[in-house]
Amino acid sequence: MAKKELKVALFLAWRSLVRGNRSSVLLNVLIISMVFTNMMFFPALMSGIGVDIKEQIVAYQTSNILIEPAKGERYVTDLDATLSLVNGMPGVERATPHYQEGGLLKFRGRLLGSTIYAIQPREEKYVSPLYTTMIAGSYLGDGDIGEAIIGEMVAGSPNIPEEEEFNPSLGGVRVGDSILVEYSSGLQKEYRVKGIFRTGNYDMDNRVFVSWADMEEVVGEPLNYAPYITVKVKPGYTESFVQNELLQYGLREKVETTEELLNKGIGRALASFSIIGLISMLVSLVIAVVVIFIVIMIKTLNNRKQIGILKAIGVEKSVIMHSYGFQVIILSIAGILVGFLFTGLIVVYMTYYPMVTPEFSATPYVTPFDLAFNGVVLFVASVIAGYLPAWKVARENIQHAIRG
Amino acid sequence: MIEIEELRKIYQMGAVEVKALDGVNLNIDKGEFIGIMGPSGSGKSTLLHLLGLLDDPTSGSIRIEGIDVSRLTDWERTMFRLYKLGYVFQDYALVPELTVKENICLPAMLRTDRTPKDYVEATRDILHQIGLWDRRDHLQSELSGGQQQRVAIARAVVNTPDILFADEPCANLDTENSRLVLDLFREINEKMQQTIVMVSHEDWHKEYFDRIIRLRDGKMVNGGG
Ligand SMILES: Nc1ncnc2c1ncn2[C@@H]1O[C@H](COP(=O)(O)OP(=O)(O)OP(=O)(O)O)[C@@H](O)[C@H]1O
Ligand SMILES: [Mg+2]
Repeated sequence: MAKKELKVALFLAWRSLVRGNRSSVLLNVLIISMVFTNMMFFPALMSGIGVDIKEQIVAYQTSNILIEPAKGERYVTDLDATLSLVNGMPGVERATPHYQEGGLLKFRGRLLGSTIYAIQPREEKYVSPLYTTMIAGSYLGDGDIGEAIIGEMVAGSPNIPEEEEFNPSLGGVRVGDSILVEYSSGLQKEYRVKGIFRTGNYDMDNRVFVSWADMEEVVGEPLNYAPYITVKVKPGYTESFVQNELLQYGLREKVETTEELLNKGIGRALASFSIIGLISMLVSLVIAVVVIFIVIMIKTLNNRKQIGILKAIGVEKSVIMHSYGFQVIILSIAGILVGFLFTGLIVVYMTYYPMVTPEFSATPYVTPFDLAFNGVVLFVASVIAGYLPAWKVARENIQHAIRG
Repeated sequence: MIEIEELRKIYQMGAVEVKALDGVNLNIDKGEFIGIMGPSGSGKSTLLHLLGLLDDPTSGSIRIEGIDVSRLTDWERTMFRLYKLGYVFQDYALVPELTVKENICLPAMLRTDRTPKDYVEATRDILHQIGLWDRRDHLQSELSGGQQQRVAIARAVVNTPDILFADEPCANLDTENSRLVLDLFREINEKMQQTIVMVSHEDWHKEYFDRIIRLRDGKMVNGGG
């Protein structure tokens, strides 16, 4: 097919769009853009949730890399040596241990089961932004004994009666109040609440933190062991780089990246999310294909006689086919561009008003690759859907078309 | 210019054979203005469509300028129509989204032997000739039936075809507009030596034709040779 014919086809297509039925053109563009937005939105929201969950876990729970006891052991032993070894590795920002004990919290007649975490407060600052989330009082110091910081959900509110609480709490603890902790060992210890934090992470906001030194008193011996160590990776290094490094160095403990942990933990949930996303994308595509097919089909059927006569006067059938094809190409490009815009608006809106649940706060996560991929898929599907009826009508026998 | 021998077109309608054309022999010379007349269903359109390469005969041969058109491929037939033949139909079949000017240009735009300058000039000349220069930028929906048919004629002759075919071009027009259109055909025929084959069943049209071919039940009743 020569350039001349393509030019005429494009000319016919353009005139037909510009001088034809305006509202039909707008409607088509709108439908394609809606389909595109729909294709983008759900998967983007799912990956946004995934990204948020990972960020929270990295920030508050495991950091980038988690070192756990070797198989068959309860603790990472020889803690000081292990820590200084890990901290000496290139790419490691800081490694900090956590220690945890179950306990029962008592406050003004309220009882609440919780887990008491011991941290090395100063070191922890390099690993977790916990110290930035204090909403009352202040963060722990290394030498704080008999003092604790508690999550917002542990503290609770004095205004909500116990039987109406959704999350059990101590019913309105304030900074300076004393709470009694009964450890599982039977030991009872009174703590002054030094601060209250709010991270937005459900699990985190149900925790109680004390200093390492305090926990050593509770346990009754120096804590040169820990159930796990969290490792923060320096910017510019990947989690797996540092993991390999640690393993190669012969660390006998279990070393896992947060990515691996996530794949184990919420991997299956994310996989079913992506199946749901795929189904929603396919449904959107089918809608787009059917709509475009019908639109072009109706156009060609309405113009059957005219098409027959154009063929009679010597317009090649490929020119006629491409004249409809170009219309679809123009409509779908316009639709996809408007779809980019809609998607962008939704992302901007949800950045300011994210979808918030106790477990996550989600903003759609859209990559240029997703935009390009979905755009191309929708474009190809639309063009096929448009060319099919155009091809059919262009091949029709002239006699049938002219005689009606 | 056109030589037709024993031309037959038979439609098979279940068990019934419809002989739309039943052995037509005819010669048409260059510059002739031929009228095909006859009652409804006599095969006029069928004959015109066969001559215009819009349909294939059941048997018989058509030679146009010495070429046996039955041997042409589908693409060659399309090119033959584009370069050598022009058509005007009963309903004007203009492209509604194109202006008068653009409709006339359309077939010329597809020809490799026409530059934009050529067809812009040709279109201008023909618009003056059909008296619609003022309406060149109007759409089909803004024209009367007679004006639309004149545009269709202009589209057919802008490529200076060897033969111009017209199937009842005045069927949808009143007498006054019919006269305008027929006068235009005669003018083209006389000034440009344009060969024209026109189907009509209005008796008063015959004053325009050089020669009349009468059909009845697919057979010619006079005027062949
Ligand atoms: N596709 C077809 N299938 C079957 N019969 C057909 C077909 N096309 C035409 N015919 C028949 O062939 C005969 C000739 O038809 P044609 O259209 O040539 O008549 P016509 O002289 O042009 O009539 P009119 O003046 O009404 O236009 C008619 O009997 C018609 O019914
Ligand atoms: Mg007829």
